[in-house]
Amino acid sequence: MSSRSEIAEVIALADTPFDFEATFRAQYPRIARVIARVVRDPARSEELAVEVFLKLWRSPRAQGDKTHGWLYRVAVRKALDELRRQTRRARYEGLFGFAKPSPNPEQAHAANEDQHRVRVVLACIEKRQAELLLLRANDLSYDEVAASLQLNPASVGTLLSRAQQAFRKEYVKRYGQE
Amino acid sequence: MDKNNLNDWVDERLARLDEPAFQPNTDRALRRLNDRRGKRFSFGPAWLVGAAAAAMACACLLIFPTSRDVVQRLFTSASDSKLVYVGQVYADLKAMKDKQPETNFTLKDAQGQPVTLADLKGKVVLLNFWATWCEGCKTEIPWLVEFEQKYRDKGLAVVGVSEDADGWKSVKPYLKQAGLNYPVLLDTDGSIAKRYAIFGMPVTYIIDRDGKVSAASVGIVNKKECEAEILRLLGN
Repeated sequence: MSSRSEIAEVIALADTPFDFEATFRAQYPRIARVIARVVRDPARSEELAVEVFLKLWRSPRAQGDKTHGWLYRVAVRKALDELRRQTRRARYEGLFGFAKPSPNPEQAHAANEDQHRVRVVLACIEKRQAELLLLRANDLSYDEVAASLQLNPASVGTLLSRAQQAFRKEYVKRYGQE
Repeated sequence: MDKNNLNDWVDERLARLDEPAFQPNTDRALRRLNDRRGKRFSFGPAWLVGAAAAAMACACLLIFPTSRDVVQRLFTSASDSKLVYVGQVYADLKAMKDKQPETNFTLKDAQGQPVTLADLKGKVVLLNFWATWCEGCKTEIPWLVEFEQKYRDKGLAVVGVSEDADGWKSVKPYLKQAGLNYPVLLDTDGSIAKRYAIFGMPVTYIIDRDGKVSAASVGIVNKKECEAEILRLLGN
């Protein structure tokens, strides 16, 4: 049961007008990093992070005590959408044989690096499972993950376990046992 | 692989995504955000799609004069928020179908029980189309609650039809919060709204004891006129 001071704190928080700029300054670097983990390009990550906050500004219902979880959810979704878009584009470019400059040694190395593999697998598994893994990887607790994705907290463990199995299966299928 | 090992295995791979060298520039991002916040319109693909949709809607209205009349009537009535009597909206419906429109329907309430409009024959029915995201609807709902309390025993039945696309997920918490004392039904696919020519919300129909639509209001109801119409139909 909540103590009186906790209740007073919640009431005070509800009465406090939402300070958008303070929230932006406090959360922007973390949100940009969450996106940068998925989207390789840092400049694009920053653009997407700005879009997340623009969406927050346009969504008064998301402004309040649940903003933190909301921001993470939207950031992860935007990042995954971008990753999938990039993957799809790369596939079509390969399919239609669009002229591509030959990769320099650095790019060739990057294409084989571990990060690339993880991103490819995240782009291939179910979006919901990828979201779950990424939110958890950003150190959100089960309760925070549940609140972000609007899940029953009791089922987060099971869903996370399924997502991990799906991730491993896809990874092993593509790159074999390491 | 057991659960703990799987957990570590996945965590180890996801940790490879860390970009310790990445330093987001908050000030530059804030300037960019403020620029975007200042722009009300931007000419992009979304704008083109919107413009094309608006052009097609205008073309439809020009091609189908009956629907144009209905829309014109609805918007005119919405602007002054007065009761629109059968001779207007309902007559348009009649003209469109060239017969008495089928007004009866069966939808489920919050408890999952089916409610049929025809079963309320013998009562004066106030049928209110609304949604949780509609601010005008929220303004008039307390008045409808009041009507239900005052005239329930005299034979008034208030029925709400929610047009929320995400179903009970949004509606049930609102019912609890607003303390609605009348049945609310869910028209998720919008089929009933279509039949009642709902182009926007709120829309309220008042149906007499014989099951015929007596009056309709587009926009927030005029409380006094609505109450007077209810009393007239109740025979007071």
